[in-house]
Amino acid sequence: MTAQQRMELVCPAGTPATLRAAVTAGADAVYCGFSDDTNARNFPGLNFSPREMAEGIRFAHGHGSKVLVAINTFARAGDTDPWRRAADTAVACDADAVIAADIAVLDHMAQNHPKTRLHLSVQAAAATPEAIGFYLEAFAVRRVVLPRVLSVQEIKALNSAIAVETEAFVFGGLCVMMEGRCHLSSYATGRSPNLNGVCSPPEAVSYDESGQATTARLAGFTIDRYDPGSPAGYPTLCKGRFTAGGKIGYLFEDPVSLNAGTMIVALKEAGITALKIEGRQRGKGYVSEVVRAFRRAVDAAELGRDSVEIEGILAALSEGGRQTTGAYRKTWR
Amino acid sequence: MRDGEEMSLPAFARRILPPFAGLPLGPFLTLSLRSLARRRPQIFERLGEHRHARYLIDPTDLPFAFCVVPDGTSAVVRVVFRSAETPCDVAIRGPILVLLGVLEGTLDGDALFFHRAISVTGKTEAVVTLRNAIEDAELRPSDLLGLTGALGRFADAGILGGLDVARRVATTATPTRREVEI
Repeated sequence: MTAQQRMELVCPAGTPATLRAAVTAGADAVYCGFSDDTNARNFPGLNFSPREMAEGIRFAHGHGSKVLVAINTFARAGDTDPWRRAADTAVACDADAVIAADIAVLDHMAQNHPKTRLHLSVQAAAATPEAIGFYLEAFAVRRVVLPRVLSVQEIKALNSAIAVETEAFVFGGLCVMMEGRCHLSSYATGRSPNLNGVCSPPEAVSYDESGQATTARLAGFTIDRYDPGSPAGYPTLCKGRFTAGGKIGYLFEDPVSLNAGTMIVALKEAGITALKIEGRQRGKGYVSEVVRAFRRAVDAAELGRDSVEIEGILAALSEGGRQTTGAYRKTWR
Repeated sequence: MRDGEEMSLPAFARRILPPFAGLPLGPFLTLSLRSLARRRPQIFERLGEHRHARYLIDPTDLPFAFCVVPDGTSAVVRVVFRSAETPCDVAIRGPILVLLGVLEGTLDGDALFFHRAISVTGKTEAVVTLRNAIEDAELRPSDLLGLTGALGRFADAGILGGLDVARRVATTATPTRREVEI
């Protein structure tokens, strides 16, 4: 599908206060989830109770914004009721769409709530016309959140071959390029983002001061060590620094963040309908600043002006202070 | 980002503040927290099981620290001295103006931690939960003081304005690491 309408800016919210901040800062839509295993950001103290969700949706609608509810983990075999209940609750709260990846959740929505928009989560890793065609035909999904593995040219080719909206990440943390299939956290902690909604669960994380250095550990495994004054990070295995082959380095992935702020026009021309900002774990200050910057950039792009220079503005908010356009610009090809 | 050291209280302020000056704060903050829990219980509900955790809040530029158990209407705040070993589940350390900035939302706790302006040891889960609860609470000084209406707004303006001035004074009075190195 080739998008001609105004692109939608989809922004994260981990708490009701952050939802209000995102809406106030100019989000067209906010995505968020419930405080349980159905949500891929299931961190303690984060997320929404059903009452908070209903209130948040009322607030967003009152300000002309939409709320997309992420029920985007994979249901436990033999215990799918929590996922069905979450979907029913989201609909009862008047959600504008449900974001899901699990076939059971998608089927439940398609069978029981056909009037509510269904978005295919990035966790489904649907990146081919055949895969997307299946989800469209089987569950009538209205939008697909694309995995962060495609170049802009590949997105354009994909959009010309499908009849459904597409949404692309433009800012925030990057996972290793295996959307929905990463089990690294499980190996160390027994819990993963896809099944439990939590990568590097905080109960398995420790920061130990020893001598002059701070050591970040995950379930007892040393993930990184920081000298005094050097920036620290949250210990995920994919961004750990390890010794291999006699060298110390980031074996899986450098701790850099995605920033496709300079590619908004290109993404629009490639047929993208919505731009997504990652970061439901981040606070109000982060969300407000990033949303405001992207609001200006998207509005400028829609008016045919050059993209606002936002790389410098947002560098301080990026993990590791370093940014990349990720797979969107594959110069090596 | 300015690091925490740059926002420490000036040395003269630390010298004129004796350790026992913090003692009255314990009962006062205990009552404030309990009152807040009665008015806004959802803040403490967000803490879940960690409302029973012992948080050591250690302002590194003050001669005393706080041991906080944020257990809603049974919350307790004790002033403790560094000379005594205080058992705790988690310790959060940083300059007082930075810690207050995180509490009232002016400063981003994540960025401060990752840039080492504040340090955290102990149960990371309890810290993450507290951080998320505070993020959502949107606390103002008037919330802790139990003030509403015009009086609340006056207190917020005065205290937040005062904190802002204090941060600027502290930043000016404390030589930056770069200046020291030069």
